[in-house]
Amino acid sequence: MVEKQRGAMRLAACDPAAHALGLTAGMALADARARVPDLAVFDHDPAADLNLLGWLADGCERYTPACMLDPPQGLLLDITGCEHVFGDAARLAKDLHARFSRHGLSCRIALGGTPDSAQAKARYAARAISGVPVEALDGGDKVHKALRRAGLRSIGDLAVRPRKPLAARFGKAVVVRLARLLEEEDPRITPRRSLPIIHVAQNFAEPISRTNDVLATIEMLAGGAAVQLQERGQGGRRFEICLFRSDGHVARLAVDTGTPTRDAALLMRLIRERIDALSDPLDPGFGYDLIRLEVSLAEVLANVQVGLETKIDTDAAAAALIDRLSVRLGAERIRQFHARQSHIPERAALERVAQSGASKADWPKPVPGEPAMRPFRLFETPQPIEVTAGFPEGEPRSFRWRRHVHRVTRVEGPERISPEWWRHARGYAPGNGSLTRDYYRVEDNEGRRFWLFRRGLYDEIERPLWYLHGIFA
Amino acid sequence: MNKKPNHIQPTLSAGAFPSVQGMWKQYQSDAAQSLLPIGAPYVDERLRGGIAQAGLHEFFGGAKADSHAAAAFALLLAWRLPESDAGIFWISGDKERQTSGRLYPYGLSAMGGDPARMLLVQTADLRDALRAAADAIRSKAASAVILETHGNARLVDLTSTRRLALAAAETGVLALLVRGDAVPMPSAARTRWRICSAPSAPLPGNAPGLPTFDISLLRHRGGTAPFAARVTWDHATRSFFDAPLSGGLSAIVTDTKTGPASRQRA
Repeated sequence: MVEKQRGAMRLAACDPAAHALGLTAGMALADARARVPDLAVFDHDPAADLNLLGWLADGCERYTPACMLDPPQGLLLDITGCEHVFGDAARLAKDLHARFSRHGLSCRIALGGTPDSAQAKARYAARAISGVPVEALDGGDKVHKALRRAGLRSIGDLAVRPRKPLAARFGKAVVVRLARLLEEEDPRITPRRSLPIIHVAQNFAEPISRTNDVLATIEMLAGGAAVQLQERGQGGRRFEICLFRSDGHVARLAVDTGTPTRDAALLMRLIRERIDALSDPLDPGFGYDLIRLEVSLAEVLANVQVGLETKIDTDAAAAALIDRLSVRLGAERIRQFHARQSHIPERAALERVAQSGASKADWPKPVPGEPAMRPFRLFETPQPIEVTAGFPEGEPRSFRWRRHVHRVTRVEGPERISPEWWRHARGYAPGNGSLTRDYYRVEDNEGRRFWLFRRGLYDEIERPLWYLHGIFA
Repeated sequence: MNKKPNHIQPTLSAGAFPSVQGMWKQYQSDAAQSLLPIGAPYVDERLRGGIAQAGLHEFFGGAKADSHAAAAFALLLAWRLPESDAGIFWISGDKERQTSGRLYPYGLSAMGGDPARMLLVQTADLRDALRAAADAIRSKAASAVILETHGNARLVDLTSTRRLALAAAETGVLALLVRGDAVPMPSAARTRWRICSAPSAPLPGNAPGLPTFDISLLRHRGGTAPFAARVTWDHATRSFFDAPLSGGLSAIVTDTKTGPASRQRA
């Protein structure tokens, strides 16, 4: 692997065979070529390395949900309370090692009381922390050199020294790092994913691959999660299924619900929908050997009595339907109206994801006898039209839209809507930001009613353009 | 030879789906149906009370630009249903939204509707839309489901409409299919309408008036003969009323070729 460093091509990494020939990382490519003329060289690709690391981290989540990347080539797993599944931590490490070697990857695994200690032991291949060189302090070249010059070569040498002079000489960061290496202070790792509230898992001695088996397992896990949620008086809002393939690949399926639920049957329906909606179907490969169900978001859910009131029935049916459609089509495709304080027509009404909960808005009541002053349909982008008006500031006489000429027979307007100058940085100034719009309600000779506007007044702009913005019933 | 070939009558194998056939027979019989009156006395009289509330109804626009009128008429029919907590589902595809704009809640509330009851489902394609509509009709969540499609879609055929119609009959949901500018094809809908915008009775100052439509019944499963009428929507009473077919026309309309009859499709 080569990489361009400070203008020269240098080796970024070498395989064991190259090491045996005396090549090391950091060597200039020209020197390496001089030693080994038939050297096979590839471009160094840090992004691909990181991807591989992420993929490995996904796979390592079979051991613990708290898993963290330690670039460029480390992974930190917090296995507190997780090792009993394998008996003890050493057996867990053995299993991990076996899985890595199955992929042809070499790895060094170290166990430590703190992430820093484990990391240092793995990096420097030391059995005990006292044998780790001072470079593990990550204090920078200057600090390491000074320590070595003082005869302090390893962490063990430093551990017996008083800390205060060290802090005075090299700064507080070095002492904090030392305490963490010596397992005196225990920082938590920051997991890649937020830890689930509840997780239930099922291991298999033999990998399973039939969809029905997988679904049956998920159903069983959902039942288990429901019991735990019941005990907590909660219902889940977000469920995640992690399917760990025996070759290390992990598939994740997330299901969101609009209201908290612990109904396993409902959850299974949503999961089936989710699997149906996958763009590339689940590929079990050689089978899944671990399936885990995580509840990552939960809310209070009281026990309700069903049947006394029909309203609960309708509400529950609506929530269930919205969830189903959201899972199948995507939550952003099921929406409800939402009002916003604005008098620019297209800004005044938004659509919000229905799953995020109903919005209570007070929509204006209709005025008896008055026709609607706003169209029932609005174009996202106003449609440009060609208008013939009687005189420049006058009302439209006829217009052409989508290759069809509409002759205007009835017209009402203008309704003038000024731009929201307070939204613009320079404040109020004539023509600042946007242009004034003059809206007209018109009816053409065939009885179709439209909402047109002229963008800009004649003293704002030389040639104002006309647009069709909406359609009346 | 006196029996003309009928596309509407399905040939179901009796053994395979007895329940479906039974449901289908029940759907076809008009008895014991709750009817939703339009509100306009002339139209309701011709319909013998109104349109079946638990059924599928189709709305075509007279010309391409009249697909909005068909959508509006279907929406207003849904507002005719008694107030309840159940929502009104508006299902349309990306294409429909692109060409005909989005629903605008201020306009809906100005027509007497409650935008908070509306649930909008926007699907990527027609297949998803039909499936979502069937799900919405089958659940108890909706009082009306409106599905809007544009163009001649092969997917909206006898089978898919029968699926919607059966679901509607089962749950009592008003299912409305807005077909825009499509050419009418055999379907399982209970009624089929052609809707065009019509000139409104002008307000003082020659301002456009209340929403007015030329509606014509194209076919009716109950056997009602086709007819045409002009109706106007009154948002205060949430009901249509008969607009005089000729008297409402303003003197300004000089082009006689644009009458409701001439705009029908050939």
